[in-house]
This record gives sequence, structure tokens and C-alpha cells, in this order.
Amino acid sequence: MNSLGGRSNTGEGGEERDRYKLRKNGDNLKSAIKQVASGRFGVTTEYLVNSTDIQIKIAQGAKPGEGGQLPGHKVDQVIADVRFSTPGVGLISPPPHHDIYSIEDLAQLIFDLKNVNPKARISVKLVSEIGVGTVAAGVAKSKADHITISGFEGGTGASPLTSIKHAGSPWELGLAETQQTLVLNNLRSRIALQVDGGLRTGRDVIIGALLGADEFGFSTAPLISIGCIMMRKCHLNTCPVGIATQRPELRKKFKGTPDDVIKFFFFIAEEVRKILAEMGFTRLDEIIGRTDKLQFNKAISNWKNKGLDFSKLFYSPKREKGVDVFNTQKQEHNVKNVKDRKFIKIFNSNYTKGKQLIINDKVYNTDRSLGAMFSGHLAKKFGHEGLKEDSIKINLVGTAGQSFGAFTSYGITLNLEGEGNDYVGKGLSGGKIFIKPTTDSRIIPEKSIIVGNTVLYGAIAGECYFRGIAGERFAVRNSGAWTVVEGLGDHGCEYMTGGVVVCLGETGKNFGAGMSGGLAYILDKENKFQENCNFSLIELLNIKNKKKLNKKFLNYEFLNSNMLGYHAERLYYLLTRHFKYTSSKKAFKVLSNFENSLRNFKLVLPIDYKRALSNDYNISSTKIRKKG
Amino acid sequence: MGKVTGFIDHDRKDRQYINVKQRLKSFNEFTKPLNKNELKNQASRCMDCGIPYCHSSCPVNNIIPDWNNLVYEGDFKKAIEVLHSTNNFPEFTGRICPAPCEAACTLNIDDTPVTIKTIECAIIDKAWKNDWIKPEISSKKINKNVAIIGSGPAGLAAAQQLARNGFKTTVFEKNNKVGGLLRYGIPDFKMEKHLIDRRIDQMSKEGVIFKTSVDVGKDITLKQIKNNYDAILLTIGSEEARDLNIPGRNVEGIYPAMDFLPFQNKAVSGEIKKNDIKVNAKNKNVVVIGGGDTGSDCIGTSFRQGAKRVTQLEIMPMPPKKENKDLTWPYWPHKLRTSSSQEEGAIRDWSVMTESFETKDGKVKGLNCIKLDASLKPIKKSNFFIKADLVLLAMGFIHPKHDGLVSKSKLKKDNRGNLLANTSNYMTSEKSIFTAGDARRGQSLVVWAIREGREAAAAIEDYLFS
Repeated sequence: MNSLGGRSNTGEGGEERDRYKLRKNGDNLKSAIKQVASGRFGVTTEYLVNSTDIQIKIAQGAKPGEGGQLPGHKVDQVIADVRFSTPGVGLISPPPHHDIYSIEDLAQLIFDLKNVNPKARISVKLVSEIGVGTVAAGVAKSKADHITISGFEGGTGASPLTSIKHAGSPWELGLAETQQTLVLNNLRSRIALQVDGGLRTGRDVIIGALLGADEFGFSTAPLISIGCIMMRKCHLNTCPVGIATQRPELRKKFKGTPDDVIKFFFFIAEEVRKILAEMGFTRLDEIIGRTDKLQFNKAISNWKNKGLDFSKLFYSPKREKGVDVFNTQKQEHNVKNVKDRKFIKIFNSNYTKGKQLIINDKVYNTDRSLGAMFSGHLAKKFGHEGLKEDSIKINLVGTAGQSFGAFTSYGITLNLEGEGNDYVGKGLSGGKIFIKPTTDSRIIPEKSIIVGNTVLYGAIAGECYFRGIAGERFAVRNSGAWTVVEGLGDHGCEYMTGGVVVCLGETGKNFGAGMSGGLAYILDKENKFQENCNFSLIELLNIKNKKKLNKKFLNYEFLNSNMLGYHAERLYYLLTRHFKYTSSKKAFKVLSNFENSLRNFKLVLPIDYKRALSNDYNISSTKIRKKG
Repeated sequence: MGKVTGFIDHDRKDRQYINVKQRLKSFNEFTKPLNKNELKNQASRCMDCGIPYCHSSCPVNNIIPDWNNLVYEGDFKKAIEVLHSTNNFPEFTGRICPAPCEAACTLNIDDTPVTIKTIECAIIDKAWKNDWIKPEISSKKINKNVAIIGSGPAGLAAAQQLARNGFKTTVFEKNNKVGGLLRYGIPDFKMEKHLIDRRIDQMSKEGVIFKTSVDVGKDITLKQIKNNYDAILLTIGSEEARDLNIPGRNVEGIYPAMDFLPFQNKAVSGEIKKNDIKVNAKNKNVVVIGGGDTGSDCIGTSFRQGAKRVTQLEIMPMPPKKENKDLTWPYWPHKLRTSSSQEEGAIRDWSVMTESFETKDGKVKGLNCIKLDASLKPIKKSNFFIKADLVLLAMGFIHPKHDGLVSKSKLKKDNRGNLLANTSNYMTSEKSIFTAGDARRGQSLVVWAIREGREAAAAIEDYLFS
């Protein structure tokens, strides 16, 4: 796709890291569009900085409103590596984004991603449906650079039959509505509009352009050019032509070549050119939004189509002079003056290898996504591995804005005295975050909220220590971060696939729903915790009371590669660090009587995770990490 | 699809033949059915494709994935129901269909299609064996008479469909026994004739009246029939054989295939005595001209009669051994195939044109042949001679016999000489007269005949009710 000047899309499953490097012959294998879906699989800082476009997938045309599942038997070593998960354990992509509950939340996510990679366009994928125009207007105001309207004809063969038949609507309807709404509200020119969902021919492209699209997405058709025969067996791992399968013997049958795809798109382009010439235009831009050029009299003269009224679909809104109907301008993202620019400057001029760089600063709640741009900068330079632990320590005082420490890379330590907001440590990619109340604060940390909702959503790796209570949806879709918190709200550890959560206080309800991996230790003196658990995928265990801890095992590498055992050691390791970084009284209390306190802890163990790990797949969830 | 990984776990394994020496001793069928377990494994290989190419490439649109699954689950009773819902005579197609379904099978991309035909045959054989197949006698009786002329597979399929829906159906057949080419053209070693008798018995009980030894156009006129019946279906086949009018053609020892094959079939069934086989290959050097299925039938029959040597000549060049899948799949590929009869020891040659027959005393002695290039032009000085005592012409059939019924009627023909009718109403140029099968489409497969028979029956019902 890169050699064509097109853009391929990773989909939601992440991307293999070796594709980020150019091949010797100059081939660029990486997908230009990186998708960020509700599962956040493999969404590392490095993944984001290696993108031209970042696409937030709100929904999929073929199955709007539904999540996805990768069954355990399809999760092999390669997939697990890319997604930072465990081979053999199924992965669930939740229906919603847990950090998008409103259009403001979406604006925040767009801001987060723009910070990580300021050069990338941020795209939002919507599904064609009634009312999508209004949603699209909101998305445009949320500063997205790009909107995809997805129709119902495309979609993977794994989509449920009921959805294929009954959900979604044609892209033409959604596209027309979006175009009209955006033009009416004078938003169209700042945003690029893409359409997909079963486009197959150059004629589709022309009709899409006439209805208002700048860009066009194809997937099933080029897939067929490389040998897909629409078996609709993508979910069974038995694709007989070797496309949608991880079985090596079937993958061998894959016969497609990049050439097939290139030829396919040349034919599409050729057809577009022919039709354009027939219409008397020279450039595609000239026909965008020209619904007046669509003829339909012949189509509706057929007896079956009689009585159809296309006037609303082909309506071209009146617009003021100078308002463009296609993408001509750029969004103003307000990322010019973020605090991270200062950090990057300091880093570029003062950092020397092997020496810790300390930055002291204040933070206000207007400083959103702090750490994201700096982390993106590091990920570009050093990749996912980043720098050695604690290479850069940023001491901050104050109240952080939303998404504090989002996508923080290995090597960065954010030490905040004050409080966090929503989305702390979103997509954490190896960095460390400590948050504790200021020393002069009069609040009781153990009883007070210190970080907001949806903390550590989609975290890949890293450590977080919060002296205080977290809000709802804590560590949802955590893939590998280790964290200690002193209480949390509802839906803790939902859809978690890896990492460790220690909670030294009460939890809200629905704990561990859809949790297929990782561990959680809950301090549960009153024995009330199990009432709050969702037992569909997890079980609760007591931790063996150990008289003597083996100090030899108190290190991350060992504990991380032996997730089914050494629970006392792991807990001890995390609590000592929690105390060290946050001076937590609660941690101190547990540690001072550690052997006896152990019995008050409950271990949350996902059943599939246990099965997969004891089958000796012998995998650590963050295998990729090589300590500097 | 009972087993998701069936196609990975099990290799394709098809029915085997009894060895050549053994099978040449008789005119019996010689395929060995798969055992129960193997059949189940083979059925489990079906993937129940999202787009079942087998389904659409089968002329009768057999619902193949469904009955494959039922066989895997061991529910043969349900399987025969599903199979019969699209195909009146699976015991015929399960034996002699070239199986375009298997060519279209997704697994044929790797040359290991599901053994669909074998599974089909196993289902129907088991159903007959267990006496599950009963006459389906219509509960309603419709006072409309339909005459079907010709009792080949198209006529039989139409007759069964109509009778089951309550129509008074009469089948006219010029020969002594019904079945058409199924009975007199296809040798017993490919399909034993008691299979037809069994069906005819079922159909008679369903109400079909068979009138044999009635040659419409000679013994009785079409007009007479028209006066007595509300609709007529002409399923008279495509019997006019392509001839080879070259010097020496009119001597003894040169026969069209259909002057040769019926004798043997009649002898097997006892219709005639063995000594009455007028054209016999025993101790002869046989040359079969034409490389198709009829040619193969001539070869197998000749070997069983005791031919000294059998040579088969084909005018077209030798096809590639393996097809280019990218260009052919899921369609029927043009590739080199070896029939069971050819495998019995025939010498085959391609790109050969016969220029004249060498004769002596009014008898054929051999063929003067010449090789052709890729564009079918003779290659100079490539002439050669083949010794022959018996030459069988199996070069295809061009259209229905015009002599008789057709020439005496005003029915329109298409430009190939077939009876003109489309596939939406199957009606000829004359109202209330319909046509289907080879008579309409030209020579083709049994399975196409069944399809057209079924569709024509439905068209006739529409006509009679409108």
C-alpha cells in the first residue's frame, strides 16, 4: 500500500514491530493507519508514533455496537506478542471505548493521540446510520482530522450472521447525511471524509465522491484479489486459502502477492479516470459533493424502484461563499504550547546517557495529556524499549489535567504530589507514575479519591502507585502494568489481559468482568470482596501464608515470568515500592505485619489464564521488555 | 459442518476400483465403496463454505454441505431427504456424474476436493438398502394429462415430479425398456441397470404410466397425442451422431458408437442373446475415434468383449496435465483425465485426424491418419497408418433426430438443430408442447437432464394452472 501511495490500516490488533523498519530494498511494510479500538491491543507509544493516521474505531460497519473476540485457540505466540497478551487466552474487545462516554471524552482521546504523534492525522471511524451527521459534526468539533463513514456491506467473515443481515446501513445514506450536516455547519473543509464498507469498483468511488467523500476505503475487494474466497470462516482459524488463519500449514496456502493488490487499485484508478473523463472533469476534487451530477431517473424507472424519493439523499445544502465542500483546511489542535514541549527541550539539551535527568515543575488541571508528547518523542528515538528505568524523573506539584501520564514511555517517572484526574496512565507504555497527596494536605488519603475514572485503560507496561482511591473502570483492558491503589470504584479490572493490580481497600461492584488475564490482589479484611466480583471468567483464591520470603525472587523479571506462583513475593515487592514512592500508611501497616496480613488478601485469577500458563506456554506478558 | 478441522485432519480418499484384470471378467460395476468410518472422515472434510461453490456448480443445486454434515453425524435418513429434495436420481449421478461440484470445491484449489460424489452415492445406496425409499404417492389428483416422450433422465425426472404433484403422467418410449441412454448407452460396468428398474417400479407406484415400444412419429403421431393430452414434454434426447464422411466410410466394420453399445447392454440384461450381438469387438483391433465419455464406454465394452487391442484417437491436442487453478477454479477445468476404461489398457493419441479408411473386400482394414498442429492444421509428412478391424465413431451427437417426430411437426429449431425453447418456460414454438434435456440443450450430462426435467415439470404445472 505504501508503494502505491495508499494507506493500509492495521485493524485493532496492533502491528509487529519489525515492520517499522524499512526493508533493505526500500520497502516500507508498516501500515500507515494505526487503529485504536476499544480493545487497545498493542497500542503502544511506539505504535502510535509510527503512524501517518491514527484511527479511533468507534464502531464497525458490519456489526455496529458490537465488540469483537479473538478466541483463545487463535492467539498464538505472534499474536500474543503483538497484543501483549498470553497465547491460548481469548481476547475480548469490548463494545464501547471505556474512555469515551461523551463527545468531550472523544475530544480528549483525540487530544491524547495528537500529543503522542502531532504529525499524524486523527481519524474517527463511524458507522452509517440515521443521525450519523450529527455525530460527525460533533467529531469535527472534537478536532478530528478525518472521519470514516462505514457502511454495512463490508466487514469480516467473523461478524455474526445476525449482524451481517440486520445491522448497519448502506454507506450512501450515512455519507450523504454526514456531508450535508458538515457543509451546513461550515465544518466540512476542516475534515477529510472517507467512506468504506463494500466499495468494489471505480464507479463506487465516483458515487462516493459525488456524495461527498474525499477518501475511499477498500478491504474485501483487494482481499479477494489476493485469494479470499469469502469462506466466512475467519473466526474458526481454518481459512483454507491461508488469509484469516494462524495455522502454519494453512498459511502456506496463501498465494497472494503485493502485485495483486497494486493491480487491483490500478484498475480502480483507471476506471475512476475513465468515468471522470466521461463526465468532463479532470480531478476528483472537482466532483466532491456534486450530487447534481448523479442521475437516477433510469434507476427508479424500474418497477421495483418506483416511488423512491432521492431528493433528501441528493440534497445539496446552500452554503455561504468561500465555504469549501471538501477538505481544504487543517484543524487547530492547540498542542503548540503543551508542557511537554518544554520537557522535550530540556531533554534534548540536558540529557546524557546514564545520568538521571530531574525536572521539577508545577501542574494545573489545564495541562492535559501530560507526558504524552514527551513519550512520543522518546518512542520515536528509542522505540518501545525506551530508556533505563528512572532515567528522567519529573517531579510535579498540583492538580493534573485529564490523561495524566498517558502513553508514558519506559524511562520516564512522573512523580505527582497533588491529584490526578480521569484517564491517568491511559495506554501506559512502560513509564512509572506515582501520585500522592501533598504533604500539607489535610485529606485522609485512604478515604479520598486521588485519581478519576478509567485509570490505566489499555496500559501495556509500567508501574503506577496511587496513595488514595481510584474511580470507576480501574485498569480496564490492562495488558501489563503493575499497580497499587488503595481502593477503587465499579468495574475494576474489566477485560484485563495481563499485569498486576493490588488494591488495599474496598472495590466497587462487577470486579473482574471479562478479565481473561493478569492478577489482582485485594485486601479484604471483612471478607466482603466476593460480593463485588463478576465470576464469569475468574476465580478467587487465598494466598498461602509464607513464613519466610525468598529475597532472591523479589525482582520484576522473575515475578513476571512466574505469574502463577510467588504471590507473597509479588505482593511484598509491590507494597515495598508503593511505600517507597508514596509513603503510604496502609502499605506500611501491611508490611509491618506481612506474614499475618497475607491471609487478608484475596487473589483474583482468571481461569483461562491459569490454564494457558500451566499448559506451559511459558510466556511472560511483557516479553518485549529488555531492561536497559 | 460437524468438524471444523476435518479437512486438515483427513486426507482425501476416494472409492477405489477393483483391479483391471478382475473387472474385465464381467460387466458388473467395479467401484468399492468406502467403509463407514472412512466415509464419515471424508464427509467431515467439508468446510460448509460461506459461499458453497459446489452448490452452485451442481446443475441440480444439490445442497451438498448439508448432507455432508448429516453423513458426518451419521444421520443418513435425513441426508437422503435433503439429497432427494434437489435430485430425483442420486443413484445415477452418484455413479456417472463427472462431479462438477468436486471441481468447484474449495479444497480443489489444492486438488483435494471433498469426495462429494462418493458420499452422494453412499447416501442413496444406504437408503435403498434400508428400504427407506418408498413411492411418494400424491394425495391430490389433478385431472390433467401430460405426455412425456422419451424416457431418458430428463423425461423420468419430469415424470416423477409431475406424478408426485398429482398429474396424470404417461411416458412414451420407443425401445422395449425405459431409461433411454441410461439403459442403452451407458454400459453396465458403469451403472448396473437394476438401478433403473428399481426407480421405474417406484415411479409406476407413484402413478406414472409407461408405454414402451411406441415410437412417436411413426407408431403414433404427435397430433394424436396432442388431442389426448393437455401438455406434451419432448425429452427425445440428442441422438443424431456426428459422422465421418471420408473415403472408405461405407464399408463393413465402421459403426457409430450407438450402433455398438446397445447390443452389449441388451445382452447383459437378457433382452437379446449373446450371439445376437451384431457388432462385437472380440479378437479385433479396435479404433475408437473420439476422446470423450462415449469413446471411453466403447473402450471398456471392447475390452470386456475380448478386443485384441484398442486405440483411441482424439482430434484435439492433449490437454495440460494440471490446470491453471487461477484461471479455472471453481469452473470445470480443461485438463487431462483418464477414465477407468482408458486405464484398462487403451492406447491414446491426440491431435490425430483420420483422412481415409483403408478397405479390402468391403471391410475396413485400417485408418490413414495425419497429425495436426495446435491450430488443427495437418502437419506435412506426419501421415501414419493404424490397423483396424473395427472402427467405432464416438465424435459426439449434434442434435435430436429430425427424421420422424421432429420433421413431421412445425416445431422451431435453434441454429444448432435442437428444439427451440428457453429455460424459463421450456415451451417450444407450439403451445402446450414443451422440451427439455439434450433435445433442447444439445448433448450433455445426466445431471443437466435431471435439472431440465425438473424445471420443465414446474413450467408445465405453471402452464396448466394458468
